[in-house]
Amino acid sequence: MKLSATIRGSTYTFADLREVLAKANPPKSGDDLAGLSASDPVERVAARAVLSEISLAQLRENPVVPYEIDEITRLVEDDLDEQAFRAVKHLSVAEFRQWLLDDRTSGEAMRSVAAGLTPEMASAVCKLMSNLDLMVVGAKAQVVVRANTTLGLPGRFSSRLQPNHPTDSVEGILLSTREGLSYGCGDAVIGVNPATDTPESTAEILSALDDLMKRNGVPTQHCVLSHVTVQMKALDLGCPMDLMFQSLAGSEKANDAFGISVALMDEAYEKMRAKGTAKGPNCMYFETGQGSALSSDAHHDADQLTMEARCYGFARRYKPFLVNTVVGFIGPEYLEDGPQITRAALEDHFMGKLLGLPMGCDACFTYHARMSQDELESLKVLLGAAGCTYLMSMPVGDDIMLNYQSTSYHDVPSVRGLLGKRPTPEFDAWLSSVGIMDGDKPGERFGDVRVLR
Amino acid sequence: MSRTRRMIEELRTELGEQSPLPDPVAPVAPIEPPPVRVNPRAPLKDARFAAQAAEHTTALVGVGRVGTRYATEVVLQFQAELAVAHGAVGAVLPDDWAEQQGLVFLSTRVASHREFLLRPDLGRRLHPESATRWEAECAKDIDIQPILADGLSAVACMGAGPELLAHFIGQCEGRGLRVGTPVVSRFSRVWLQDEIGQIARAKVACILLGERPGLGTGDGLSAYMVYDPKVGRTDGERNMISNIHARGIVPADAAERLARLAGGMLDQKTSGVDLDLSKIPGLGGAGGTALREPQVRKRLVSIP
Repeated sequence: MKLSATIRGSTYTFADLREVLAKANPPKSGDDLAGLSASDPVERVAARAVLSEISLAQLRENPVVPYEIDEITRLVEDDLDEQAFRAVKHLSVAEFRQWLLDDRTSGEAMRSVAAGLTPEMASAVCKLMSNLDLMVVGAKAQVVVRANTTLGLPGRFSSRLQPNHPTDSVEGILLSTREGLSYGCGDAVIGVNPATDTPESTAEILSALDDLMKRNGVPTQHCVLSHVTVQMKALDLGCPMDLMFQSLAGSEKANDAFGISVALMDEAYEKMRAKGTAKGPNCMYFETGQGSALSSDAHHDADQLTMEARCYGFARRYKPFLVNTVVGFIGPEYLEDGPQITRAALEDHFMGKLLGLPMGCDACFTYHARMSQDELESLKVLLGAAGCTYLMSMPVGDDIMLNYQSTSYHDVPSVRGLLGKRPTPEFDAWLSSVGIMDGDKPGERFGDVRVLR
Repeated sequence: MSRTRRMIEELRTELGEQSPLPDPVAPVAPIEPPPVRVNPRAPLKDARFAAQAAEHTTALVGVGRVGTRYATEVVLQFQAELAVAHGAVGAVLPDDWAEQQGLVFLSTRVASHREFLLRPDLGRRLHPESATRWEAECAKDIDIQPILADGLSAVACMGAGPELLAHFIGQCEGRGLRVGTPVVSRFSRVWLQDEIGQIARAKVACILLGERPGLGTGDGLSAYMVYDPKVGRTDGERNMISNIHARGIVPADAAERLARLAGGMLDQKTSGVDLDLSKIPGLGGAGGTALREPQVRKRLVSIP
């Protein structure tokens, strides 16, 4: 394995593949914080030059966290589809990038190799891609999943309705939900982040959402984003639950900080398959985000992009209905500003789709990150054009419980209108049937909360 | 004629010579301002929705629409709220502020505001000069070390900070606790309390600092407390109260709860997850279990 490159007479040599991957990453404040970044732009290019000649087989042989000490590495290695891997293993990262961009490579062809790719391969090729490269390949990917409704079909662009409330007031949650539905939002899921992490409050919110959906015949799915162990107890209480949620991280140690493991998630998944209320077959919802491993000092000196890809390696074991990266929530010490958050959103979407996941994005910022509202609005259009499966949606993009800025009820129909996209077919038909939409145009009752009872 | 030229000629003939769009119709009639589709402003049922909504949530529902976007007034209101949040994050404690308050002023290892946001590790440790000065000037072997700090909102620190600090010191002294030298620090993260408290050989350290602002807010303070402060303590070893401001927990109430919490730590000789909150009466949810009440939105922009 060649680990050095010469640029204009200067030779750069790297200790191992993990260092090459880290130094090839575009600038991220989190990699600076971890002390892993390239020292200057030339060293970054040198690392990319080295990376471009590494084969996918070498990436499989050199996971950034050793097999012996990490169950995520073991899960990825042991579950890898050997037949799919054989189709790509000989390619260098440069050749793999070009294969992805080649217009003869279809979304179907990408789908057929997805199960043979490791997270490190996704991270490596991502580092050789520009933003537009990431969008072109992302838009080509095909990932279609089904719970109550069908998500990810061509020409579709969906949204999670996020009616959070600082004290879990059910009335407050339902008021916000009704308004969101009247703007055509919520076809991916109606998902509430609870302020109280108890089985009883999880069950109470789910039951209220379930009533509202049944009363109005809304074809979508519901979820309350409490800890997975809390949701398991809520299921035992006998409440409806279309999707089960959990935040995932890219190493065993980081998952331990989240209070989860592969064994626990296996158990949760089995329970959900037995007791979940969505028709399926997909019933899980995961969230991720660059920097989460470093924040619990569980990154094993790997860059945050590679650690993020490893979350997807974990997620795909459970054939999820939704995965999204909460890209700007973690704060400026991991993604400093608009360009870094934008780049990370496109990277995460690309890597997730490449690995076969129905990837959405919470395009967002906290108020101490240097991203403007205009930059955030632009990002939503970029994601829509890149084939992102879904965004979030809440009143004026303001989450009154988590205190950050995301996508609004108004943004989702705006981006759909710009890009000529529609919600899931089932939801689309419902919107037209109640007059919220008139085909692809806002209908008579668009934005009128009285449509919902 | 070349092939290309012939192709262009043929296309021209096919498309005709007309401009791609017809000329605009003139003259244009005066345009009526379009109605903002604020549904809750309509009579009867809708008014009830608006009232209901305000009663149950501070989410910005019922703002209406023009097309699929916001009315101008909503845009301005949003931008004003965003400016308040960004202003709070961007503010820096002035050099002479501590002196005006009669407090010792310490600096962390952070050199600039940008570095403060990017390097939480540097905001958790004192600058060596500050550490030396603190070692020389602070009262030692005390029960409680009070610290006021900027955190993510110097505006909150300079706003309700001095009042909260004064109430807290008063409450502790009223309970017979030995209170250390009050101090203010700039570019500080929560864990800075460990080093400041360790140098003062305090049994408990309490840092009062600005919270990460939300939209339209930036005046909230949080308080974190740790028993036996030492560099290397983790979050699980701390207790906290958030949402301290005029519309949340008012400083006087917060100070009383904090003093009770400090007393509980001294009795039980521990803090964080090991602290039995049920044995400390009158906390009112201190310790991080209280929900943050919805904050009433102030109308920041008024258009007649």
